[in-house]
Amino acid sequence: MNKLVGKIDSIRTSGNLSIAGILVNLDIMKAVLIETPATAPFLKKGETINVIFKETEVSLAKNFSGKISLQNKLNCRILSIENGELLSKVILDYKGEKLISIITQFAVEDMDLKPGDEVVALIKTNEVILSQE
Amino acid sequence: MTDLNPILLSFELAGITTFILLIVSVPLAYWLSTTNNKSKPVVDTFVSMPLVLPPSVLGFYLLVAFSPANFLGAFLQNIFNVRLVFSFEGLIIASIIYSLPFMVQPLQSGLESLPRSLNEAAETLGKGRLSILFNVLLPNIKPSLLTGIVLSFAHTIGEFGVVLMIGGNIPGKTRVASIAIYDEVESLNYHNANIYALILFLITFMILLTVYYTNHKYFRAGKT
Amino acid sequence: MIHIQLNKKLKSNKGTFTLDIDFTLSSNELLTIEGHSGAGKTTILRLIAGLIYPDDGRIELDDEIWFDKKNNISLPAKKRKVGLVFQDYALFPNMNIMENLEYALVDKKDKNYLNEIIDIMEIGDLVERKPDTLSGGQKQRVALARALVRKPKLLLLDEPLSALDTEMRSKLQDYILKIHRKYNLATILVSHDISEIFKMSNKVIRIVDGKIISQGSVQDVFQEKYISGKFRFTGEILNIEKDDVVYIVSVLIGNNIVKVIGCEEEIKELQPGDKVIIASKAFNPLIIKPGFISKKVE
Repeated sequence: MNKLVGKIDSIRTSGNLSIAGILVNLDIMKAVLIETPATAPFLKKGETINVIFKETEVSLAKNFSGKISLQNKLNCRILSIENGELLSKVILDYKGEKLISIITQFAVEDMDLKPGDEVVALIKTNEVILSQE
Repeated sequence: MTDLNPILLSFELAGITTFILLIVSVPLAYWLSTTNNKSKPVVDTFVSMPLVLPPSVLGFYLLVAFSPANFLGAFLQNIFNVRLVFSFEGLIIASIIYSLPFMVQPLQSGLESLPRSLNEAAETLGKGRLSILFNVLLPNIKPSLLTGIVLSFAHTIGEFGVVLMIGGNIPGKTRVASIAIYDEVESLNYHNANIYALILFLITFMILLTVYYTNHKYFRAGKT
Repeated sequence: MIHIQLNKKLKSNKGTFTLDIDFTLSSNELLTIEGHSGAGKTTILRLIAGLIYPDDGRIELDDEIWFDKKNNISLPAKKRKVGLVFQDYALFPNMNIMENLEYALVDKKDKNYLNEIIDIMEIGDLVERKPDTLSGGQKQRVALARALVRKPKLLLLDEPLSALDTEMRSKLQDYILKIHRKYNLATILVSHDISEIFKMSNKVIRIVDGKIISQGSVQDVFQEKYISGKFRFTGEILNIEKDDVVYIVSVLIGNNIVKVIGCEEEIKELQPGDKVIIASKAFNPLIIKPGFISKKVE
């Protein structure tokens, strides 16, 4: 589980769905939820919240340019890479916080990822879970 | 012709003793099995003493206590006109004390071996102690009851020292089988001694066999 | 309304600690006491039933007072209208099932009520039998029936289902819920099976070393207060296996085993037997009719 702490910055609601914008380390992350401020009391501007996403849901891009539908783009630097047979665990530094991405080993080879590389971690809005303790 | 009175007297003594012991021991064993009272070890000790004391010691103290020359004996003699020395009544009391552990201990260990939850379940069902004792506890320790009854009975039949000390050897009153055997041997009357001995031997054997057989069956039935 | 406040010094293998609890429940509630073994859960039930007495406290049921240290009130167990179901069932071995039930009947003429309970618990076929001949689940049903026959105002269940297999347990949970709802009977359950707690309770109190550390609804007590995942189940970890750079965690949810990928950081504190919540966003699961994909590849 990757976990970042942020503050809710904006909320847009339609029917049962909401999209929350969360301010995390000066980046805006977005999460789509089947909740509204009426059903989830924590959906309130200014609330401190945990932003959680699974390691396997973190995609990586290098030398990224152009447009992409993914809303969560975090600039990171690779700290280390742990290669398995099929999968690789890429340990990232995101503004001092540790994030982990699990991608295929093919991708690591294809992109020629090495420690020290600057990459963008991409997470779909529907993979982001919000929680409050 | 051999006089069978001593045999009958032995059984009469053992029967009455066992009956009274049963009445006395059930509450005593129940109390011992449930109490946290500080006096429990003391009571336990008194109940067990006859197991280790030489019968003559017990007989001696009872003789002294029951003697009309002393307070208790005099009290009983003067107020109730009861004389416990060299009498059948005296024998019964002595036997009760002497056989007490043989009745109390099986009952106590039977009660202690029952899961505590049986007692507690009955309590939470709103039952009082008497109802619990007679409806729940005693019916579940039948083998212990049988063991206690038979051991007390057999032990009373086999007792010698206490009887001799306190009862003496009065035909028809205190001359029980075990004394009679001794008496016949003393007068070199081996034939009569043999008859008494054989009867006691066979009857005791049959009683114990019945108990062990019944308990064996009971436990086997309980398991299947 | 039932108000229970208890204080008692207890000895455990770790030394002495003080049981100190205070909670209320209303007559239509089922409250679960949860905690590690030796936390004092069973003691609480025994104190309420009057099998042991607290050093201080008060037990109040509607307008009845069962215990009140200050006013020197202390009803003995037999005067408290509780139904206590023991872990070992405590059926009387000398009586058959009917006799066990009849022994508990307050008004011996009240056969209608007795028969009603026998019907609800579906033990009509067992009444002639001795407890020794019954299976664990059957004994449990009889024990429950016997506790109800006494018409208790409060039903106390001490890990009643811990010895039963999953299927039997689920059936008995249904029986307990059925009677709880039918008779509006306040019930206190001791359990540490999280799926059981989720299924049964309106209210949970969590106990550590004799103290309540949290209480409230199941959701309040057992989950991070708010979590926006929608696809969420409680289960028990069966196995953790390292594969490549990840771990495959097998989790028993209900009667199904599911496999979940975990990262080293996630599984660090987990081990087989642990109860966990498996959560995912509602966006991920596919919804497929059985048979639509004949050979399922995941």
